[in-house]
Amino acid sequence: MDAFRFSSEPLEPERYRQGLADAGAGGYASFEGWVRNHSDGRRVQRLEYEAYESLARKEGARIVAAAIEKFGVSRAACVHRIGSLDIGELAVWVGVSAAHRDEAFAACRYIIDEVKHRVPIWKKEHYEDGDSGWVNCERCADASHVRPHAHDRDHAHARTFTHDYSRQTALPEVGETGQARLRSAAVLVVGAGGLGVPVLQYLAASGVGKMTILDGDHVEPSNLHRQPIYEPEDVGRPKAVVAAERLRRMNRDLDCTAITEHASAANVSGLVASHDVVVECTDNLRAKFLVNDAAVGAGKPAVFASVHQYEGQLQVYRPRPDWPCLRCLWPEAPRDGLVGNCAEAGVLGPVPGTLGTLQAMQVIQLILGLEGGVRPGLLIVDLLDFSTRGIGARRRAGCEHGPSVRAAPEDAESPEVDFSSLNEAREAGFELVDIREAWERQSGRPASHITLHLPLSELLGGRVAFPAGGRYLIVCEHGVRSLALAEHLRERGHAEVYSMRGGIAALKA
Amino acid sequence: MKIVHVQYFAALRERAGRGAETLETSAATPAELYADLAARRGLGLPRELLRVAVNDEFADWTRPLEDGDQVVFIPPVAGG
Repeated sequence: MDAFRFSSEPLEPERYRQGLADAGAGGYASFEGWVRNHSDGRRVQRLEYEAYESLARKEGARIVAAAIEKFGVSRAACVHRIGSLDIGELAVWVGVSAAHRDEAFAACRYIIDEVKHRVPIWKKEHYEDGDSGWVNCERCADASHVRPHAHDRDHAHARTFTHDYSRQTALPEVGETGQARLRSAAVLVVGAGGLGVPVLQYLAASGVGKMTILDGDHVEPSNLHRQPIYEPEDVGRPKAVVAAERLRRMNRDLDCTAITEHASAANVSGLVASHDVVVECTDNLRAKFLVNDAAVGAGKPAVFASVHQYEGQLQVYRPRPDWPCLRCLWPEAPRDGLVGNCAEAGVLGPVPGTLGTLQAMQVIQLILGLEGGVRPGLLIVDLLDFSTRGIGARRRAGCEHGPSVRAAPEDAESPEVDFSSLNEAREAGFELVDIREAWERQSGRPASHITLHLPLSELLGGRVAFPAGGRYLIVCEHGVRSLALAEHLRERGHAEVYSMRGGIAALKA
Repeated sequence: MKIVHVQYFAALRERAGRGAETLETSAATPAELYADLAARRGLGLPRELLRVAVNDEFADWTRPLEDGDQVVFIPPVAGG
């Protein structure tokens, strides 16, 4: 059956469910949307659904295909009802079969959210008082329709509203000319987390005309304390999509694109080249250096920030011959996992909030060409004692302003290997080295077959040395630090060190 | 001997157990100073992962240290 289709007959979920059977599937999740008897405080008697079918089928099929690809599920399908429906009838069905339940639930959620958001389907509500009305875009577009209803929130773009920027155009340095500059500016924001959220909100509110959000993560419950654009209902949805929805609601003139991918060598340079400014807001060094190299390559300004507990660092790159890039400051592009490791993470919301707000200010300064701005180098901000420290830097002679040959040996054998148990690794001839800290080993999962316990902090501090010779598999909790250490050791001539992908946490209990 | 003012950031601050200190040292360069402090304070990060700034400018590890210098050790930070 087609992955997405319409039915003018009552839906038959049991039959559709059988169509998802797969020998490799260990579970099935489904969602059913039902016709309810009330909408916005009014009693509803029945509904009519209408779709722009040819377009809707294509868009729906794309959504289901994307879900299968994105979550790696076995099969998925969605059937939407059209025509007249009574209370209690099934309006839409989504089903997913997958090897594991997590992907099944996530893909199911993704499909229904995207279908409601993207597929052109309209709903006419018939009320008990004899009145009726089209909801979704049609209804909201009716300017004479004065009674507010809940989904105005989602379709508010249709109502008349003129953004008033008078409080910022009143600044002599901004004025109408500055506002026009903001309107014609295109800004790329990489990462929609603790730093990215205030960047997105302030820039959208200020009237920046075009924004692109690049983020491959989904909203997690632990994000909400520092990323207040997201709400509990958003958990599991792609951050870029949710953020773009909120921004469009905030500024109706905004042209906002969500890209649900992580920053990679494949996507960053093209995106940076097609925008005026790039704002780097991720939590990983790899992405920061990718953005740096793309900005330098394309001659575009870039605004970087990162935080560690109560501190933040801010750096602006301007495409000028005398201006230092990230690599001028950090010639040995540091690796994620070796410093400020994942086990130590902890942050208060206002810290990335403040740094992200500083980034937004820098972007506006760049677009408007305002005097000042962060000088070349690094600004270090301490939010506990309210101190800032600017550390000047110059363009470093000999900086390639791009990845050095040594940093990216494409043909080298990957140090990452997969094992389903430590015993299996042992039998494959590896000596196992656990680099978790002592306290982690006490509180974390016990690991068997370990030859050596060498906590990363002691290795880096030089108090213990990694043994020479031998064939070693390094393990840590999640596989981030072990990979960083394996690469670090290989660069120093230790050929036979490997990292266990996913770490101890990924092993079956 | 000379007096220098040292400031630690991010992961180094935690490991040093302090944000700043003023000390008397015979170290001739930031590299020597870091080696001494890394051992005494258990800083636990190899120098090649860090940058050093002297008097608010990024500096070479081998430049001479002078009396009254402000020395800042900076690890890379990635959180966001």
